Amino acid sequence: MEYDLNFSWTGTIGHVVIGATRADGGTRKTSYTLGGGTSLPYLDNNPSSPSPLVALEICDNPEFWSPIIRRFCGDLIHSTSDWAKTAETVYGADLVRLYLTSTRVRNFSDIVSVGKTIESVLDATALPLIIEGSNEPGIDSDVFQKCGETGQDERFLLGTAEASRYRSIAAAALAYDHSLIAQSPIDVNLAKQLNILLREIGVQQDHIMIDPYTGALGYGLEYSFSAMERIRFSALKGDTDLAMPMICSAIDSLNIKEVREADPALQDEMAMQWEFYTGIAAAVAGAEIICVRHPKTVRMLKNAFADMKNNAGFSGVK
Amino acid sequence: MALKALDIYKLLPKKNCKECGDPTCLTFAMKLASGKADVDLCPYLDDQAKSVLGATTRPPIRLIKLGVGERSFAVGEESVLYRHDKTFYHPPGLLFKVSDTQSAEEITAATIRVRDETLTRVGTDLRFNGIAIENTSGSPAVYAHAVATVEENADLPLVLIAKNTEALNAALIQVGSYQPLIHAATKENFREMCAIAKKHNCPLAVKAHGLDDITSLVKECLAEGVKKLVLDLCPQSLGNYITLSTAIRQLAISRAVPDLGYPVYIDATHPSLQDAAIALGIVKYASVIISPPLSPASSKAALTLRQNIYTDPQKPIQMNPGLYRVGTPGKDAPVLMTVNFSLTFFTLQGYLESSRVPCFLLIVDTEGLSVLTAVAAGKLNETLVRDSIRKFNVENEVSHKTLIIPGYSAPLSGMIEEATGWKVLVGPRDAAEIGEFLHEEWKK
Amino acid sequence: MRSVTFLPSYRKVDVARGSTILDAAQRAGLNINVVCGGQGKCGKCVVFVQSGRTEFDKQKYLRFFSEDELSKGACLACETTVQGDLKVFIPESTIIQEQKILVEGRDKGIEFHPSVRKYYVELQPPTLIDPSPDLTRLLWGVQRSGGPVAEKIYVPLEVMREIPNLLRHSDWKVTGTIALVPGGYRLIDLQENDTSKRIFGAAVDLGSTTVVVYLWDLVSGKVVAVASNYNKQISCGEDILARVNFARKNGLTKLQTLAAESINVALTAASNTAGIDREDIYEVVVAGNTVMTHMLLGIDPAYIIAEPYVPVVQRALSVAASRIGIAGNQNCGLFAFPAVSDFIGGDIIADILSCGMSKREEISLLIDIGTNFEVVLGNKEWMFSCAGAAGPALEGGEVLFGMRANPGAIEKITIDPFTLDPLYTTINNIKPRGITGSGLIDLLAELLSACVIDRTGRINTGIENKRIRTGQHCPEFVVAWASETDIGKDIVITENDIKNLIMSKASIHAACVILMKEAGVSRHDISTIFFAGAFGNYLDKKNATIIGLIPEIELDMIRNIGNGAITGANLALINRRERKALDEIAAKIAYIELNAEPSFMDEYTSSTFLPHTDLTLFPMVQQLLDSCRLRKG
Repeated sequence: MEYDLNFSWTGTIGHVVIGATRADGGTRKTSYTLGGGTSLPYLDNNPSSPSPLVALEICDNPEFWSPIIRRFCGDLIHSTSDWAKTAETVYGADLVRLYLTSTRVRNFSDIVSVGKTIESVLDATALPLIIEGSNEPGIDSDVFQKCGETGQDERFLLGTAEASRYRSIAAAALAYDHSLIAQSPIDVNLAKQLNILLREIGVQQDHIMIDPYTGALGYGLEYSFSAMERIRFSALKGDTDLAMPMICSAIDSLNIKEVREADPALQDEMAMQWEFYTGIAAAVAGAEIICVRHPKTVRMLKNAFADMKNNAGFSGVK
Repeated sequence: MALKALDIYKLLPKKNCKECGDPTCLTFAMKLASGKADVDLCPYLDDQAKSVLGATTRPPIRLIKLGVGERSFAVGEESVLYRHDKTFYHPPGLLFKVSDTQSAEEITAATIRVRDETLTRVGTDLRFNGIAIENTSGSPAVYAHAVATVEENADLPLVLIAKNTEALNAALIQVGSYQPLIHAATKENFREMCAIAKKHNCPLAVKAHGLDDITSLVKECLAEGVKKLVLDLCPQSLGNYITLSTAIRQLAISRAVPDLGYPVYIDATHPSLQDAAIALGIVKYASVIISPPLSPASSKAALTLRQNIYTDPQKPIQMNPGLYRVGTPGKDAPVLMTVNFSLTFFTLQGYLESSRVPCFLLIVDTEGLSVLTAVAAGKLNETLVRDSIRKFNVENEVSHKTLIIPGYSAPLSGMIEEATGWKVLVGPRDAAEIGEFLHEEWKK
Repeated sequence: MRSVTFLPSYRKVDVARGSTILDAAQRAGLNINVVCGGQGKCGKCVVFVQSGRTEFDKQKYLRFFSEDELSKGACLACETTVQGDLKVFIPESTIIQEQKILVEGRDKGIEFHPSVRKYYVELQPPTLIDPSPDLTRLLWGVQRSGGPVAEKIYVPLEVMREIPNLLRHSDWKVTGTIALVPGGYRLIDLQENDTSKRIFGAAVDLGSTTVVVYLWDLVSGKVVAVASNYNKQISCGEDILARVNFARKNGLTKLQTLAAESINVALTAASNTAGIDREDIYEVVVAGNTVMTHMLLGIDPAYIIAEPYVPVVQRALSVAASRIGIAGNQNCGLFAFPAVSDFIGGDIIADILSCGMSKREEISLLIDIGTNFEVVLGNKEWMFSCAGAAGPALEGGEVLFGMRANPGAIEKITIDPFTLDPLYTTINNIKPRGITGSGLIDLLAELLSACVIDRTGRINTGIENKRIRTGQHCPEFVVAWASETDIGKDIVITENDIKNLIMSKASIHAACVILMKEAGVSRHDISTIFFAGAFGNYLDKKNATIIGLIPEIELDMIRNIGNGAITGANLALINRRERKALDEIAAKIAYIELNAEPSFMDEYTSSTFLPHTDLTLFPMVQQLLDSCRLRKG
């Protein structure tokens, strides 16, 4: 006998495409289609629905980066393009997420350099890219414009729109056909509000990924987990304003006390486990891109995701 | 599905007789709806109404207790699929697994770790819960010796894993009265296993593949008179586990298959996916999780994840209000004010520590609300700040009168200045920028 | 002593040197607007000193005045002390305006049947043949004149003592006053000759900021005067909480006295207007919130405001007015409305009475908005209630140019969607000084329709229009240029103002939803929404719906009941059956503590959007906004 769990879902998670191959006019070796889920994560019984992707986060000014990563990566971090390349070739990431931390220096104005950095990363890796723009309203417009322009035809995922600043990034995404990350602070309602705001200025549902803001394990994951579950739940119940795939990045993981103050000999493992446990929980709650900063977390997560996708053995569930 | 107060009210006699202790039938109905009153308090309910009201309150998953004494723990009695619907009540037990073929030193070491290791987070002590002892040797005597080794070192809840009933009997002679979980009854051996479990009145794990097999095995064990059951789904993969445990939870709480209303057991032992299995067990409904002794990093992560998932997501964890120190601040150190939502506190504290600027952190009582919501709800206001400065003697600690407030409370800055007489600096909205802020703004 | 003469009324008082102008004005019977309770915070008590010596720290309060005002001697009445003899001009906007008060009991077809009446009787003197006792003789006379059955009338000892002499002295022509009190009928007063036309009653709305009194002729059933006055307790604390704290520090007696005095001032004013003697007031009915009622009766309110928030009394109370210092006839009775909880007090019971929701089969939603808000959902069978803090934004507080409904306040606004030029009307049609709550609601709805703000209330600074600019702290929209205003400054609404307004409206909407969920009803089940409180008649129902202040229902089914507290008090004064129903209403209401409601924050967050995060709850608004946007392109 087969049991039907009868959740009576009516909604489907919408699709978002990241990366464009030569066939699509871009230069990436692959392009990912996220979304499409029709049930709770891993209950789809649909072999074609994708496993979560793992993105390795890198940056172009390591001054703003965790000392743990600076130490682990050594000289690598001084060359953004080499760093991006190893993400693909050595650590096996699905995506590279580039933080333009160079723009966070006070009175930053060298917009041209932004384009150059992105170009060098596009040359160094064939993976689809997530580009994280500026953090400063004053230069947002120029930075996002430059990101959009440099990545024309590559279908970037651009970060990050928030309720307080979404117009510049949306303009760049619309002009150059990129998707964008819509981040709201750990709340299903706020996530929905931002999606409505974006829809109302013309950003299509298939160009938005929800970032529900992921608190690190022990530092907010207890709320993030449920916020993600509720977003997925509402989407499956038919709320199209929440029916976008989710991206999750627990960026505080390497700054929290447990990791920062760990015995130096154990620090890398602590960082990896912290990112790993967070990533597993986020994937189960519905995240489809998991971002990490420790290069060694990438493979751990990918191995686990492969086995989570494998529903071997008879379960008796329809 | 829980009934609304008004639905319940319609079933009540509407006499407003006050005999239940409530002033009106409506207020009694509200208490019933939120589970704060018992149906039997109303003397005028007919049996039909009682059965309708009673059926919604019986827990769909049985409560099972492992072990005796201080370290015993209970699992089950969960009622929701999503923790945001209510909350998850009984955190899973995390147990270290040893084998009777291991040396006494190894067994002792694992036992002592479970006995002594404590991780204190947010004012709570987090610990592993017990020891699972596997009869790998096949010998009853060796097994009994291993169990004795554990028992000599600690009074911990146990799981006895053995296919050999003689080995089990040998172990249970020593520890049978301590409510160990016996693992496991299968299609082949359930009669003997049930007899043993009944004899010692211990909980019993039933082990089968697939929902049909596990359901029929539960029925057999119930027929044998064993009611304290735990389900081992023996999943073939992590994906298989997610499907099975979600199905069991859903079928149990919807009361579609009441025989699946028992806690779930998972053995996370795996050469490379052990941490993934533990994490999945915690987030996806496992109640007993066993694994070989974990590394320090995995231990911390697993205990923390369990604490996170079993925290009520609707209730913020609160810090005690007060004046906290970061580093050893002097008289001229900055004073930063924020709310007593624990998450805000820890995040800010983390960034402050990494900024290496010694300072004071003034935590005011917003009943656990975050800055944004506390400002919105009026809980964070100038009076609270003024009173907190007085109450915690901030003026005696520092030689200046400048207060840094969170970016999201900027609208209050003028009123705080006026009420306290302190100069107010509006800090960043994002805690991550506090280091830079202190270096740039405070040093000026 | 120094004398202070107030213009334009030429009222004059003598006060001690060093008193504030505010004190002097209050002693002169002028009701000055002191929102902050006279702490120099609100800047609403602006007066102009025309001559004489004062002390006032201009520099400290510079922000409240324009250059022009300062040159004319502007100062704050609460912060200025009298040093010499003064002439002080009080502008109209500084005086508390009498609220436009709505619906009188008679208009609603309520039968005039007061609880207290007078009976004039001419009695036969006793003789040897008819030797029945004085009392019997009197009560029989009352019964014959249409009064209650003689045996049912109780006569207190004080009145009994008066009877023998009074009857004989008046040549057996007397007027008796009979009141219906909880114990039955009671002869409360006896006067010589025919005074039966001289009987008046007062209905009182005892608010924490203002006191409103309606004086009724209890023979003709007509209102003879209306007066209002600020609540003198303001000097002991701005809000309820501060006053309860004041009471805790042995201040209860003072608060009791001030409450009674506040009522007395209004009673006197009303009596003077109507040209009647206060001695002829025989009954006072008071509807006030729970804390106010406790304080007026001199009952310790301390336990109401701390967990578990228990009031001392919930039922209606009848006491002798003289015992709590209310000036009327010496035997005047006072009736105080019952309460349900800390927040659901007599004022809300009065709202319920005046909107009639407790008599209806259909479900109604009642919303009373002030600094706090109260919401009641229900019908004749059941009622749920809750209350919370709305913040003062909807009353015009915490908004840069917000103000109460005084002259010069913008109360209605429309905005041209293309030019973004506003069209507004002000109270008394004078140049604008600020914006009222109803004006703010209009403004929010219009700015949203014109796409100046997005649904979170953020101003789109990308729009090229001179009215949209970045102010000192955040973006703002100019509603009126300095040249068109009465204050010589641009009147603007800032993004922070808008956020405050959205927070206020979100709390109210969330509270409505919590009650609806508790009762298991949807917006389709609500037949009528009643609005009471701060907005009076002026609230634009459509705009209130557009911003999501209330659940969306047919606009025709939204009604303003204005000051429901005074209407309810009026009803209870003139109709004894309505009054009898009060305890029953109070007992029927179940109170829900929002703080203990785990889903409140969730409902609140989903309401912090215009109109709401779940747009399907506002189909009409959605359609309207879509068409606005379509037109705009």
